[in-house]
Amino acid sequence: MKTLFSPNAQPRPLVFTSMVVAQVALLLLLWLFYPMQLFPSLGEVVRSLGDLVTTQGLIPELWASMTTALQALAVATVLALAISYLTALPFFRPIAYAASKMRYLTLTGLTFFMALMVSSGHQVKLSVLIFGATVYLVTGMTSVILTTTQEEMDHVRTLGMGEWRSFYEVVVLGKLDEMLEVVRQNFAIIWTMITLVETLYQSEGGIGLLLYKQNRYLHLDGVLAIQLVILATGAAQDYVFVLLRRVFFPYSQLGAA
Amino acid sequence: MTAHTHAYRDPILTLNNVSIAFHNEPILRDINAQVLDVTRPNMRQGQVVGFYGRSGIGKSVLCRIMAGLVAPGTGTVEVGLAQQSVTPGMVGFVQQRYPLFEHRTLHDNLLVAAQRKHAPAAARQHVDAYLERFGLAPHRRKYPALLSGGQRQRAAIAQQLLCSDHLILLDEPFSGLDVAMIDEVKKIIVEVTTMDELNTVIIVSHDIVTTTALADRLWLLGYEHDAAGALVPGATISPQHQYNLAEMGLAWHENVEAEPEFAQFVEHIKQEIRGS
Repeated sequence: MKTLFSPNAQPRPLVFTSMVVAQVALLLLLWLFYPMQLFPSLGEVVRSLGDLVTTQGLIPELWASMTTALQALAVATVLALAISYLTALPFFRPIAYAASKMRYLTLTGLTFFMALMVSSGHQVKLSVLIFGATVYLVTGMTSVILTTTQEEMDHVRTLGMGEWRSFYEVVVLGKLDEMLEVVRQNFAIIWTMITLVETLYQSEGGIGLLLYKQNRYLHLDGVLAIQLVILATGAAQDYVFVLLRRVFFPYSQLGAA
Repeated sequence: MTAHTHAYRDPILTLNNVSIAFHNEPILRDINAQVLDVTRPNMRQGQVVGFYGRSGIGKSVLCRIMAGLVAPGTGTVEVGLAQQSVTPGMVGFVQQRYPLFEHRTLHDNLLVAAQRKHAPAAARQHVDAYLERFGLAPHRRKYPALLSGGQRQRAAIAQQLLCSDHLILLDEPFSGLDVAMIDEVKKIIVEVTTMDELNTVIIVSHDIVTTTALADRLWLLGYEHDAAGALVPGATISPQHQYNLAEMGLAWHENVEAEPEFAQFVEHIKQEIRGS
């Protein structure tokens, strides 16, 4: 118990898990027995969740959003990796810099331009998501590349490797695990954007549209239920990314404190 | 103390009037030094040479120049029996923190180096031999983060030896090590120099006792004063600061640190440093 309140302590896994379970239980109990006036009760949220699943197709809508999100993430990751790795060549550095700064562009204005450029609503949705995710990913990935030290480059050069091979060994292979971490962290951005984009292009539905409808008719219990579903989905995705990192990059956490 | 019989042959490393400045501030000035292949009867004797200098004097810059990682402002560095201008990869360079590829296992770290010089099958054989020779075979599947400091240092040296042409440069190899670890590093250095006649270990360090105990030649980096007594910017090696320890009878003695002549010489070096 004492370790839970000691700075930089490493409590035993059992102690830590018990603490998390206790904290969650306390939160649920507070919610159950002390409902706030504006905030829907736990029972209302659970009932609303059941209704959303049975009558409003929450699961297919979630699936539709998730596949769109994964599609966008896959394309954005490839694009962002290409842009970031190209920073090895000075000619392409302004592109990465500009791409990184484009995260300040507003989505609403962007969808207008995308609608002019592509034909279907799905493509507009996808291209907006890809754009939004790419600019955030490029920011994170270039930061990872910039952590490359003189020592790392000296080391690889003294092994007689040429400049491209050195870059491949140190930056591409050596930092792939950190790139995956950047992708994991920025996946949340797609979920933030998807709810907005789905309300702008309603033809394909999606969890964002469902959320919009609940919001519009002031079904706060429904809004909260959907938010909790998104939160749980995000947590599950995070876990999958952590698992992927452990499986494919077993060395990545070895030196962590 | 008597000097062991020895002779010198061809040059292996030549620093010729090497100077470098950063932002117009001279760091190193007119460095001249030559490492010759030393031979001893009936044995394989590589070279151990030391560059000694105080902290912040420009030793790491000198290392990077000798490794071909940075070109000197003026002067040349020539390596090997052919005395070719140095390029990265010709001189193995073990940096202070013994970098390895953290994303590769120990075996793969060595293999990626060996494959620079050998065909895949031969490279694997070389790696196995080096793992055995450096006592690292039981750790071959480990990632560098799981190696101890000593294992990591041995691995870094083995990696550089696998792809360099006999020359290996150690930047502060004794820094932050305890007595037992220093002994281990000394053993590795002796081992490396007896593996091949041409193997040459260049130690760049501020640990005067250990460097002197291992080296057969020593160069002292320091500052010179002009006629008016003012300090001349840029560290250099004065003619009186070049020591042939083999001729002085201080090289290749097993327990040289216990000899009074060694203690006298170290004291002399300390006086020189204080005076520079």
